[in-house]
Amino acid sequence: MTLLSVNNLRVTFDTEAGRVEAVRGVSFTLGRERLGIVGESGSGKTMTGRSVLRLIRPPGRIEADEMRFDGQDLMRASEKDMRALRGKRIAMVMQDPKYSLNPVMKVGAQLMEGLRQRDRIGGAEARARAIAALDAVQIRDPARVMEAYPHELSGGMGQRVMIAMMLIPNPDLLIADEPTSALDVTVQAEVLKILDDLVQSRGMGLIFISHDLRLVARFCDRVLVMYKGRVVEELAARDLMKARHPYTQGLLNCLPRIGGDRGPLPGLDRAAEWAN
Amino acid sequence: MALIEIENLSVTFHSKGHAVRAVEDVSLSVTEKGSFGLVGESGSGKSTILRAICGLAPVSAGSIRIAGKPVPTPRGRAFAAEVQMVFQDPYASLHPRHTIDRVLSEPLAIHGQGDADRRVVQALSDVGLPTSFRFRYPHQLSGGQRQRVAIARALMLEPSILLLDEPTSALDASVQAETLNLLSRLRAERGLTFLMVSHDLAVIDHMCDRVLVMQNGRAVEELSRDDLAGSRMKTDYARNLFEASADRML
Repeated sequence: MTLLSVNNLRVTFDTEAGRVEAVRGVSFTLGRERLGIVGESGSGKTMTGRSVLRLIRPPGRIEADEMRFDGQDLMRASEKDMRALRGKRIAMVMQDPKYSLNPVMKVGAQLMEGLRQRDRIGGAEARARAIAALDAVQIRDPARVMEAYPHELSGGMGQRVMIAMMLIPNPDLLIADEPTSALDVTVQAEVLKILDDLVQSRGMGLIFISHDLRLVARFCDRVLVMYKGRVVEELAARDLMKARHPYTQGLLNCLPRIGGDRGPLPGLDRAAEWAN
Repeated sequence: MALIEIENLSVTFHSKGHAVRAVEDVSLSVTEKGSFGLVGESGSGKSTILRAICGLAPVSAGSIRIAGKPVPTPRGRAFAAEVQMVFQDPYASLHPRHTIDRVLSEPLAIHGQGDADRRVVQALSDVGLPTSFRFRYPHQLSGGQRQRVAIARALMLEPSILLLDEPTSALDASVQAETLNLLSRLRAERGLTFLMVSHDLAVIDHMCDRVLVMQNGRAVEELSRDDLAGSRMKTDYARNLFEASADRML
């Protein structure tokens, strides 16, 4: 079943230096599955994710032939409708906990804010649910973390706090923008397992935005490879190592390998025609 | 001969009346011109060790020796001329209102070394940046370019030791490759000694001869590069870490 369909999405910024097209005609559909979007910085993967929530501010503009979520036309939805969707049905885990958590609010207050405002839950129950959410993302000492400010947490803890916050309302679609790049492999494996359980048990759809090709190959069902605002290759994740497009191959080849030969890593040569 | 010797190092932070033991009883030694890696989870204390060497974290027990001599407290200029650090986040580690020229010439000014003009230009070309970048501000540079500036700044005083705290984890794969190649080249050319922290075992394997696996502030196991690639680890934790990184063998 299709949860989200996006057809010919374009994101344009009108700047003093002229038009900048961050996303140029991206189309994809998503069921209750794990879709990976990979590419380098500036390839438009984050903008694609944000567009689904219409979280792009002027001078940025979103245009699309079609963008539907669970039967609802996201291009025509009012701001009020979007507000009802954001968080509750479509949630997004942002890239950097340092910039996405409120630096002057305790973690607990931030976790409870949504619960109290959106779900109209009392203080004690909100607290219990916030602690349960922190527990679910394997935070060892949730009571201490509730009382901490974001700067007192490590990057990995901050990232888990954000994931906990987004999972509290039980969304149908989670857009995770580099959710594990601040984490170490063992914690990363735990977080991926949490996300995976949610996809399997709740039937949640997941858009997993990452620059880490090997991680995406292991974790997702399907992968879109983006370059300069376009999808250059779409393939099943298990076939990523057999990628045909020279850009995808280049991205794979420039990664160091355990047991590799330690010689200089190959650079990535970019051909102008890939962007067309 | 060991250039960096750390013996039974402990670092304890005190906050709100309770003590946080970030590093407990860790010993390691890095040979001259060697390259040593530290891996472990967030909060395992790997970055704290680098910070303790630089005097940015309080040493509560143990000793740190550089070239056989205990490090002085405060660290002082002679130490800075010998040991420099490159931080993880190139967006946070350069002063946003200082030009690249000012960033690179400041260490020379502090140490009363002249010839700043020529040395700044030389430093830029050493890290593969065009000299036209000299009067730009950090926000006019990409992440990879900023990290090159941070590396250039660390090398201004011609230190023999570089402490690298996740130097490429904020960078794209292709930029990571360029930065790692740059670090390897500089190390070979200048005979540098590296102590490097990373959570990516493939990066550590690519760059380091030996690696220390850490967990909860303690040393778990020290491995040579061959042991790592051949998956000959003795502790369960190191094995878990290796297995979680199995995709890095591809």
